[in-house]
Amino acid sequence: MRPVPRTLELFYDVLSPYSWLGFEVLCRYQNIWNINLQLRPSFIGGIMKDSGNKAPALVPRKGQYMANDLKLLRQHIQVPIQFPKDFFSVILEKGSLSAMRFLTAVNLEHPEMLENVSRELWMRIWSRAAEKAGMSAEQAQGLLEKSSTSKVKNQLKETTEAACRYGAFGLPITVAHVDGQTHMIFGSDRMELLAYLLGEKWMGPVPPAMNARL
Amino acid sequence: MRPVPRTLELFYDVLSPYSWLGFEVLCRYQNIWNINLQLRPSFIGGIMKDSGNKAPALVPRKGQYMANDLKLLRQHIQVPIQFPKDFFSVILEKGSLSAMRFLTAVNLEHPEMLENVSRELWMRIWSRVSAGLWKSSGRALDDFLTFPRHVFKVMILPSPGGSTVSQSHPSPMFSSFQDEDITQPQSILAAAEKAGMSAEQAQGLLEKSSTSKVKNQLKETTEAACRYGAFGLPITVAHVDGQTHMIFGSDRMELLAYLLGEKWMGPVPPAMNARL
Repeated sequence: MRPVPRTLELFYDVLSPYSWLGFEVLCRYQNIWNINLQLRPSFIGGIMKDSGNKAPALVPRKGQYMANDLKLLRQHIQVPIQFPKDFFSVILEKGSLSAMRFLTAVNLEHPEMLENVSRELWMRIWSRAAEKAGMSAEQAQGLLEKSSTSKVKNQLKETTEAACRYGAFGLPITVAHVDGQTHMIFGSDRMELLAYLLGEKWMGPVPPAMNARL
Repeated sequence: MRPVPRTLELFYDVLSPYSWLGFEVLCRYQNIWNINLQLRPSFIGGIMKDSGNKAPALVPRKGQYMANDLKLLRQHIQVPIQFPKDFFSVILEKGSLSAMRFLTAVNLEHPEMLENVSRELWMRIWSRVSAGLWKSSGRALDDFLTFPRHVFKVMILPSPGGSTVSQSHPSPMFSSFQDEDITQPQSILAAAEKAGMSAEQAQGLLEKSSTSKVKNQLKETTEAACRYGAFGLPITVAHVDGQTHMIFGSDRMELLAYLLGEKWMGPVPPAMNARL
């Protein structure tokens, strides 16, 4: 009998480029490693406020570094991520509350669509290669309406608070439940460490598909 | 004819735990990859000031995260790093200016000793294990981290009047430090001697540390890091095919391998791959 899959919770926000990178790597490994990947749409604004942290781009050199870093990681991790021209107005001023409420609604009503819709939202902000997520206009409209209900607002609030209780000061965080222990790992650049904790093999950010478990 | 080795500049400060991790990984790969690793002692306080950034531990959850992160990385990267008990007073208040000036002097006069002396200084702040024993024994890190408690207790008793190394203990295997203060001259000298320097050499370098030549050199190196865009340390600057890449942190080594066209074999590469 195969061992029980380990639960990995990925807390993310589509405002966060590194959330996208972590998301794609974990999505690739969910059919390779013995894991149960649970996506947790969260609100990074709430986490920043609660932890007393600030967005990295507010330190000019960090913003500059991020732009270069994402250029390199695009090639290395093979994700079509690009720093948007109007980063500050799109990202920092408009924020992600509606998008994350929308994803929360998707997770409540159509969890099987959460991965695709999340990816589509990232594509819209962080890429020029946006595709359709496969949702009908009616479905999307219905979910948009549900997004402003207290049920969805509260769910997003609870998920964000859960991330804070795990010690988040930003996103993404991956929470790995392994052999009765809980490890919170920040960022998209600790996946090799995560593999080590899971006792799994790290095959780089773009693992060969033929290793995929059928 | 073998291709020209690529130059990697590692800007670091012994105050920075992640600098130590990046340093050890790159030291392992310097005999595996076709690289020329150049160590650049820098002053993290100057970089923070110049970039407008703040030490991560000032955000409480970041400090907490760092403590846990270092515990995991200790095993994964096999470096005997431990969060010192008095982190805030040793690290944040006293700072690393004297230590980094000393390393700058070492780099000017005895660059071949820079790696060892840097390691000893990290050991004094961030470890309870002697560097010499750790590196020369070739034993697994676990052997050093899981020693019997009664031996550990005897070894780390501080002597009256300050923390010094306990010399009298039953185990022949270890000498340990109690989160040593790197700002005191005696402490810096002790680290230098542990690294293989004579007392005279070490004393001479300590004196040189307060000359304008050394102060200016540290300032220049720190400014160079700032020009590369540093907002913290460590930074690794890779010169590859006419391009310059600045990489922050100790967790982008796989990306660095990708940029160099080299093979990443994890943070603890097999020694048999070492180029002779």
